[in-house]
Amino acid sequence: MITLNHYLILSGCLFAIGMYGIITRRNALLILLSVELLFNAANLSFVAYARYLGDLTGQVFVFFTMVVAACEVAIGLAVAILLFRTRETLNTDEINTLKW
Amino acid sequence: MNLAGFCSLLPEALVIALMFVVFAADLFLPSIKKRLGGLTAWGLTAILACLLWQGFLAGGQKFGETFQGTFLCDPMALFFKALFILTGIIVVILAREFLKKADKNPGEFYLLILSALLGMLFLASANDFILLFVSVELVTVSFYVMTAYLKTDQRSVEAGIKYLILGALSSGMMLYGISFIYGHTGSTHFDAVRGALFGMTSAPPLLLLGILLLIAGLGFKAGAVPFQLWIPDVYEGAPIPVTAFLSVGSKMAGFAALLRICVSVIAPFDKKWALLMAVIAAMTLVYGNLGAIPQKNIKRFFGYSGIGHAGYLLTAIAAGGFSGARGVLFYLLSYAVTMLAAFLVVVYCSVHLESDDMSAYDGLSRRSPLLAGALFLSLLSLAGVPPLSGFFAKFLVLSSAVEKGLIWLAVLGALNVVISLYYYLTLVKRMYIHPPAGGVIAVPLSFQIPLYLLMLGIVGIGVVQGPFVRLAASAVSGFF
Repeated sequence: MITLNHYLILSGCLFAIGMYGIITRRNALLILLSVELLFNAANLSFVAYARYLGDLTGQVFVFFTMVVAACEVAIGLAVAILLFRTRETLNTDEINTLKW
Repeated sequence: MNLAGFCSLLPEALVIALMFVVFAADLFLPSIKKRLGGLTAWGLTAILACLLWQGFLAGGQKFGETFQGTFLCDPMALFFKALFILTGIIVVILAREFLKKADKNPGEFYLLILSALLGMLFLASANDFILLFVSVELVTVSFYVMTAYLKTDQRSVEAGIKYLILGALSSGMMLYGISFIYGHTGSTHFDAVRGALFGMTSAPPLLLLGILLLIAGLGFKAGAVPFQLWIPDVYEGAPIPVTAFLSVGSKMAGFAALLRICVSVIAPFDKKWALLMAVIAAMTLVYGNLGAIPQKNIKRFFGYSGIGHAGYLLTAIAAGGFSGARGVLFYLLSYAVTMLAAFLVVVYCSVHLESDDMSAYDGLSRRSPLLAGALFLSLLSLAGVPPLSGFFAKFLVLSSAVEKGLIWLAVLGALNVVISLYYYLTLVKRMYIHPPAGGVIAVPLSFQIPLYLLMLGIVGIGVVQGPFVRLAASAVSGFF
């Protein structure tokens, strides 16, 4: 029997993997990928709660999230392309013109 | 949606209409391209008039709601919307000056300003987590594009990717937090969530985690420590009208959402959050004010000083209650007017001196007495010198903290006034004592008029505080 807690643990794992990726990865594209994992962790948790509560709001919220996440990725990829054009690298360690 | 519902949506509908007009004019009328800035600014002024009419009709009551109560047009929302549109008008004026030099297509820049403004307007009225999330994202996504707008400039693109990664991270955290709040209260509607929280005898840990993540996500927008790391870099790299918009509009949007969440959603739990907020406020105050001291770049300087101001606003939020909420609103009014006046000067200097370095301001008082005088006045107001508006704003905020027994925080706030006075006056010293670095700078009338009006605002709000405090009080009195 798969209960609400199983879904929540899975979504927690997804969130943790995403967070770990953002912190450790050095490639801008992989960081964007990890950010998507965060959004999907939240989506999974919304859907699980919606099913558990028998309420549709959570499912609807996921639609909005997907649209927003798509926008973020579209802009993210565009900025990544600009980044590569201006410096020929996506390594975040080398993106260090701005600092105190 | 009935007529009353539509009337409460009117400013948003008009901003969308203005977006279409700007878009169509940019696409089909090449002759009007040079005048798009004026068109946008006047359009926004008309929308501001319409909003004030709404506020007049409402007279301190709830004006209306629509979309099943998810969009709420109450006095607090109207107050914030007026500030957002005022910011929008000034930012368009700044963008116009900036785009004259940068050889770019102006239409899309104005569209991005308007779409960020639209997100802020919806954010001020959001009474549901779905609308809150979508409008926060509309604001941020527009800002990502604006930050990376100078496509061939390394610094602008770098600021864009930094903002994007940290912004998306904070949105992810906020969304994950909202999912727990939804799961434990069974609704995304603010009123229903508050009702469910009132009914709880003890809070489940996941719900507390959810609220914590939500506050973290909004704290990112507001520039609260420890979510402030992006601010100096993004402010420095972004085109300067965008820096102005970020430091006034985006920060106000963060506080509008934070204030609404605090007074209308998690109010039943406010005892639990007061200490956490107070610690965040103290860290933000100290970080911002100490960080501003060694800065040499004017954009970074205002970035750090903006973090310091976020600290005062968080102090008022930590104090909470009626006086805290009133303090937040009055502080934001004073902050917006003062910061916009400062940015009018800074953007004009940055465009015409082609430098963001603070040494470019050497001897500004002899090159343009008006610009130097306006910057001097706004810096004094930012530092909190009586009788300017910033003084009374700080007074309201610190007295609300004392009222709630946060004496240590009020003392820390007062000490930070001294620190901020030091670094603001170093810039004043550059302008008035250092020898001038060049010839006279002429300021056109289209720049002088908003500058004089904002200077009048800085002095006026400070000298005649009564009506403005009553306005702020009536905007929040419905919650208490």
